[in-house]
Amino acid sequence: MEIILSFLPPCLWAFVACVAFGLVFNIWGGGILICGFGGALGWFVYLLAQHLLTDDIVAAFLAAVAIAVYSEIMSRIRRCPVTGYLQVALLPLVPGAGIYYSMRYCVAGETQLFLNTLLHTFGFAASLAVGAMLASTVMRALLPWINRWRVMCLGAGTPSAKEKE
Amino acid sequence: MDYDNLLNMGTELGYQLMYSGAEIYRVEESVHRLLTAYGLQPQVFAIPNCLIVSLTTPEGHPITRMRRIPPHGTDIELLERCNGLCRRLCADPLPIEQAKALIDRLEQEKRAYPNWVYLAGYVVGAGFFAAFFGGGPLDAVSAGICGLAVGIWLMYIGAPLGFNGFFRTLIGAAIASLLAMGLVNVGVGQQLESITIGTLMVLVPGMALTNAMREIMAGDIISGMSRTADAILTATAISLGVVISLAIGM
Repeated sequence: MEIILSFLPPCLWAFVACVAFGLVFNIWGGGILICGFGGALGWFVYLLAQHLLTDDIVAAFLAAVAIAVYSEIMSRIRRCPVTGYLQVALLPLVPGAGIYYSMRYCVAGETQLFLNTLLHTFGFAASLAVGAMLASTVMRALLPWINRWRVMCLGAGTPSAKEKE
Repeated sequence: MDYDNLLNMGTELGYQLMYSGAEIYRVEESVHRLLTAYGLQPQVFAIPNCLIVSLTTPEGHPITRMRRIPPHGTDIELLERCNGLCRRLCADPLPIEQAKALIDRLEQEKRAYPNWVYLAGYVVGAGFFAAFFGGGPLDAVSAGICGLAVGIWLMYIGAPLGFNGFFRTLIGAAIASLLAMGLVNVGVGQQLESITIGTLMVLVPGMALTNAMREIMAGDIISGMSRTADAILTATAISLGVVISLAIGM
């Protein structure tokens, strides 16, 4: 429990930072809060997975899956393209520091460190991309079924997701 | 039907989408769907700085238009509007003149924040990313100041003077790094590393690299490769800027 509580401050910082970058990307209205929550959610999943599995590439994959599922659902509800939510929510995870450090090692002539960091950065970025693509593809396949099920159970679905198809 | 105007219209929508930072597959699919809604079988090809749309009229006359995409940022508001308009036109193809007018108005009618909001975004983003990377409250404040300097450089000095992307990034990174060192020397900031990384999140191409990987996974290999090269070039500019300012700081 204490460990989970210790995850909360970084998630809060990620939330505010994502909201600020949402402004830079010219996102309006409720979308900006959606991005912030996506960033916080992704970072929470990442920290939890890293704590349980101790492997940061797998943790990045799981976090990207969580963010992509969340963004797909939100984009269906708000009927907006998923691009913005996905990009901003992934910001805390993207390996900016990794690519920066690897090029610094390159400029400093530390070839071995440069290659290690660069390959790890590429792996990290690739696992984020695979996670996001996989979750988006699965969601796109599943959503019509979820919709049909909801219409059956509730009598009528909300118009948002139905009109999208 | 006026096929020249139709082609212009499709290309213009694709250009707006691309300019707002949409993914390659979204641009290709949107233009394809739009022209298909008007009863044609178009061919669309896009890479990050070029869009080619080609179609054959029912009389068998092929026409093609190519449009170059200048360097651009990300503008989600414009992207959402383009997407909404495209969906609307696909569902209900308006007469070409009317549709063209709607597309031409996209850019003028979109909402944009005043400049100080963008600057505030840079300040708050840099500050909280510094806290996120393990800095204390004072580090966050210093990173906010550095973020403000980078924002002013990018928006008011670098872009109007016509610096190209590489030098804009290089000088931005140098400013951020010098200012961070100065603030740590004065005693405002404590951890140089988290201040620098937090500020450089504004410039760093982590997003570009992840997008490049997504393009490659989606099958757009050429786009993915050119975006990867772009990300590495940007990272080189940042590290050169930091190294230069380290040399000055010594």
